[in-house]
Amino acid sequence: MTNSLRCPTRAEVVARVQAAGRRVAAVLPYHYPRALLRAHGFHPVEVWGPPGVPRDEGGRHFQAYTCDIVVRATSFLLRGGLDGVDAILVPHTCDALQGMGSVLGDFVRPTPPVLTLYLPRSRRPVDHEFLVAELRRLGEALAAISGRVPAPADWEAAFAAEDAADRALADLYARREGLAVTDREFYTVVRSREFLPAEDFVALAGSLAAGDPPGGVPVMLSGIVAEPLDLFDHLSAMGARVVADDLASGRRRVYPLQDGGDPHTRLATRLLGGPPDPTRGDPIAARARHLREQMGAAGARGLVIYDPKFCEPELFDVPLLRRHLSAAGLPVLHVEVELTGSLTQQTLTRLEAFVETLR
Amino acid sequence: MTGAAAIGVDAGSTTCKVVAVDETGALLASRLEATHPRLEEQAAGLITALVGDLGPVEPPPVVATGYGRQLVRGAARRVTEITCHARGVFGALGHGGTLVDIGGQDAKAIRIGEEGRPIDFAMNDKCAAGTGRFLEHTAGRLGVAVADLGPRALGATAEEPISSTCTVFAESEIISLIGRGADLDAIIRGLHRSLVGRIVAMARTVGLGPPLILSGGVALNPGVRAMMEEATGMAVILPPHPQLTGAYGAALIALEG
Ligand code: SF4
Repeated sequence: MTNSLRCPTRAEVVARVQAAGRRVAAVLPYHYPRALLRAHGFHPVEVWGPPGVPRDEGGRHFQAYTCDIVVRATSFLLRGGLDGVDAILVPHTCDALQGMGSVLGDFVRPTPPVLTLYLPRSRRPVDHEFLVAELRRLGEALAAISGRVPAPADWEAAFAAEDAADRALADLYARREGLAVTDREFYTVVRSREFLPAEDFVALAGSLAAGDPPGGVPVMLSGIVAEPLDLFDHLSAMGARVVADDLASGRRRVYPLQDGGDPHTRLATRLLGGPPDPTRGDPIAARARHLREQMGAAGARGLVIYDPKFCEPELFDVPLLRRHLSAAGLPVLHVEVELTGSLTQQTLTRLEAFVETLR
Repeated sequence: MTGAAAIGVDAGSTTCKVVAVDETGALLASRLEATHPRLEEQAAGLITALVGDLGPVEPPPVVATGYGRQLVRGAARRVTEITCHARGVFGALGHGGTLVDIGGQDAKAIRIGEEGRPIDFAMNDKCAAGTGRFLEHTAGRLGVAVADLGPRALGATAEEPISSTCTVFAESEIISLIGRGADLDAIIRGLHRSLVGRIVAMARTVGLGPPLILSGGVALNPGVRAMMEEATGMAVILPPHPQLTGAYGAALIALEG
């Protein structure tokens, strides 16, 4: 390791936040208003599976072809993994998460209240209006749990802290080529935004040492989530280096920031202002252009689309995306993985073969 | 025999192959065995035996490929089967194209470009239905030797379509066809059609274009070859040793140092 990186676990953060008298909301992927949760006295801790939790219990509630994020998160909840939290927020990112919101609310009925957030699937003015109303509704539901209606000063403080963390995330990507960190270290920090308090994230991101990153065949990673983190060790052993990403758990959440105005409107503008994204119904050409630009700027020689099996929004886009990028001479590898906590030999062979083709 | 300059090992899931080449890349000797559970010892034994076949020579450099490549002791490098197959085909035929390799437990399609480099690839290693195992399994069920499958498919005067996309369900379908009194050769022909349909669909994902090259154990099946030609409208080319393509490519990579 080039940095002495010390990042607490999600469980440690939950315990620490609750000991400090704040509420914790378990949040499913992947677009949601952090400042709104904070203003209402909740600290968000994201749940991406977790990998390795067996599908069995959760699998009883869903079709066999439902993705691992949804099924394993439901298993985790049924096994008591979310027992201590004060609320569970299920954004309607995709049909699978929309189904999960209904299953939890109507059938599983866990002790922590289940809140939903209907995210529009495009970015028209009417979607913005709808999202503003949705965010107000979510705020009311949070206030009903916490008994806290944010005053203007609460909003101001929440925006100040979360904007600083969002800026630190954007800055981390901007400084990437000047950081002496491995891919694993870089993504450990990026992903700590999923659960660290904003202030801690800013401190962690700022602690990375400047210097030259390790070398390797430059590749870009797209998809949902780079789990397990061992992926980066494998890629590095194969002689590759991730120089850019379009991950739902990464750069897709580098939002443009706005100042002032009504907080709900400001948050809706932010959430709808992110880069092209398969859960937003963005045209393939726009996604392809974005990926081409990112790859060009970072010097990536190929794109690895790395998805959990059965991820519908991703799978809809992959064939056409592949066609667009291949036509532009950019090699693409699509791999689907199960979030079991380790990678199969088949997946590793595909990745290694792809890296060999890029040398 | 002398002059061995490099050795390639393809530790595959069904068979383990080793080949030796001279300094010009010509194939000198080879060995092929069904893969043992103790692959590490098997690969070491095959290398020792091959070196023995070559006479008193310094053991040449080894490159390993195949799913068991990490288990090959003493390999100077380990390279994926995609790159080795591409290199092996280019070395044997002197040109690229679309390579379809159908092994016992997996199948791959590789578009090979200039200098034998893989440009794009697709692999089926998750589902037996698109691999040699599909034919092997159903041949066992029908009581027909694997080697007889291709000629019987070609000699059939009718064809029974097999609609199941899964090896296990295809078996049930075959049982019901037999129960209905369907002709055995017509069933075998239908099985070949089903396999070829899946393979061609996979090959299209990498931009199937001529020349079309077939390798792997299933390349020896004339029924598959003929139906591939029918399905693609392209002539199928076979490298000189279709089962040794990966190991041969590994040996050529070892030769390059
Ligand atoms: S992995 Fe895909 S299908 Fe599953 S929750 Fe995420 S976006 Fe939805």
